[in-house]
Amino acid sequence: MSSADTPTPPTPPTSKQSESPDGREARDSSLNEVALSAKGLVCRRGVGSEVFELRVDELNLYAGEVLVILGPNGAGKSTLLRALAGLERSANRRSIRGGAGPVTLVFQRPAALSGSAEFNVRAALLSKRMPKAERRERVADALARFDIAPLAKHDARTLSGGELRRLALARAFVLKPKVLLLDEPFDDLDAEGQRILSFDLQRAIADTKVAVAMVTHDLRRALLLADRIAVLADGELVQHGLCDDVLLRPDSPEIARTVGMINLASGRVRRRAEGVSWIEIEEGFEVPTATDLEVGSEAWIGIRPEHLKLDVGRGDGQSIGKAVVESLASDGLATVVTLRVRDHRFTTHLLSGRGLARRLRPGDPVSLAVRPDQVHARPTAPSRTHS
Amino acid sequence: MSGEEIQLLAEITFRTLWVCGSALVLALLVGVPVGIILGSRRFVARGLLVSSVNAGMGAPPVVVGLIGSILLARSGPFGGYDLLYTPYAMILTSTAIALPLVIGLTLASVGSLDEEWDLQVRTLGIGRGWRLWLLVREIRMGLLAAVIAAMGGILSEVGATNMVGGNIAGETRVLTTAIMMHTSMGEYEVALSQAAVLSGNMLLLAGLLTWIQQSGRAR
Repeated sequence: MSSADTPTPPTPPTSKQSESPDGREARDSSLNEVALSAKGLVCRRGVGSEVFELRVDELNLYAGEVLVILGPNGAGKSTLLRALAGLERSANRRSIRGGAGPVTLVFQRPAALSGSAEFNVRAALLSKRMPKAERRERVADALARFDIAPLAKHDARTLSGGELRRLALARAFVLKPKVLLLDEPFDDLDAEGQRILSFDLQRAIADTKVAVAMVTHDLRRALLLADRIAVLADGELVQHGLCDDVLLRPDSPEIARTVGMINLASGRVRRRAEGVSWIEIEEGFEVPTATDLEVGSEAWIGIRPEHLKLDVGRGDGQSIGKAVVESLASDGLATVVTLRVRDHRFTTHLLSGRGLARRLRPGDPVSLAVRPDQVHARPTAPSRTHS
Repeated sequence: MSGEEIQLLAEITFRTLWVCGSALVLALLVGVPVGIILGSRRFVARGLLVSSVNAGMGAPPVVVGLIGSILLARSGPFGGYDLLYTPYAMILTSTAIALPLVIGLTLASVGSLDEEWDLQVRTLGIGRGWRLWLLVREIRMGLLAAVIAAMGGILSEVGATNMVGGNIAGETRVLTTAIMMHTSMGEYEVALSQAAVLSGNMLLLAGLLTWIQQSGRAR
């Protein structure tokens, strides 16, 4: 997300061609078949005042497609995965319908069966009837796909976290699943491990046309694989659709924060001219948006960090005023710059080691600019009670 | 030792192994499934059952013998079966002593598995029977420990077997009760030879089980 204008990764072309703002419609009209669907799903956990309820009106998983489920801690992401896997006792089972074929879940901390890595994969086929040769071949394929063949004879309980994760994926893929559910697949892996795993996964998904639903905290890693995004909050599916629809057009400030649109503010629409509405955040601080808004109404805006520009010279966006650099932090690739405009704090990303990223120091004055079409805006919802 | 004495010793030893072996098998047949259920299911009375199992693991054999005697006595609720002072009474009380050990250790080894173990195996679409097989396989070290503990409990205790068996020569006399009797009569030589046989058996079995345990661990 450090450099590109569009934060979406390369994804299968099908998901990009849709003009429809609603991902579901676009999907339904495509050729991909529904691999698993949840309709009117309800799960209830806990007792008394600690009751947690998960409600999903409708959610479909499509063959060959990756759905990334995002949401703050405790939003019900893992519960949703378990319900989809048929493992959640409190779920109304009839609400979940699958096409033909296995549905399997790879847990956040996969449990190794005692025995060799190869045994772990073979065990998944225990209750399947098939000729010996086929069994052997499927096990060998699965081991090779996730690069554990060299570890086949090793005791599974001596494997490292990354190896165990790959073993669990091999154990899942040996079933030739129609639906694969992944709970935090990149958790606890180092950068290299994450890179290898996402590469292997991407290939496995493309090869097998499996439908994948993935829960993760790691937005950047998830976006490398994602076709669609679903956002959960407080046990409710608050938005879901194609990547761009959710990333660039979140329905609420909470969703915006979850999907990384972290520059948020609100104000009143002051004027409208040439297809641009100007929203006054504070006196003398106005932000333009291409979204059509009624003059005089209240609205909130969201700008992705990569869309907030510093010190632009020639016409790339509209200048919106001066800011002061508060802090800089680099992860080697991207430099995260925190800025202050009066009482508001904004964040932008620069490529590390070049130009501005090298010159800027805390306390420096900079000017901010945005392109109106990259400023997301929505009328402020009438204040609703939120538990 | 005369031939007659050796014959007598062999007879007592044989009966000891038979009684203890039966009790062990019974305790395992009942205790392992109960331990697995208590360890893997959550239900209302579970806490109560688990604490009574834990209490049972420390129950004094003499108390078990006393309760067994009362239950099996002619006037007792199971008096009609005429079991008191028979090897079957001994098997029953030995089973009662070993059962909490088997349940407790099975329960503990199921509990030491990953909390999500069952869910993780279930999501692989493995059928019920194979899941149980995998579970037993996974806790086999714990089960072996349960066998060793139950064996030790049954072979070494003397109070209960003496009370419900009665140490009747040729019928319910086993090595432990015989040793106790000969010791009290001052016949240390006989007692010592019987003690040697008992300890020898115990060592042999413990050695065998340990060997199985070690070779299992190395795999």
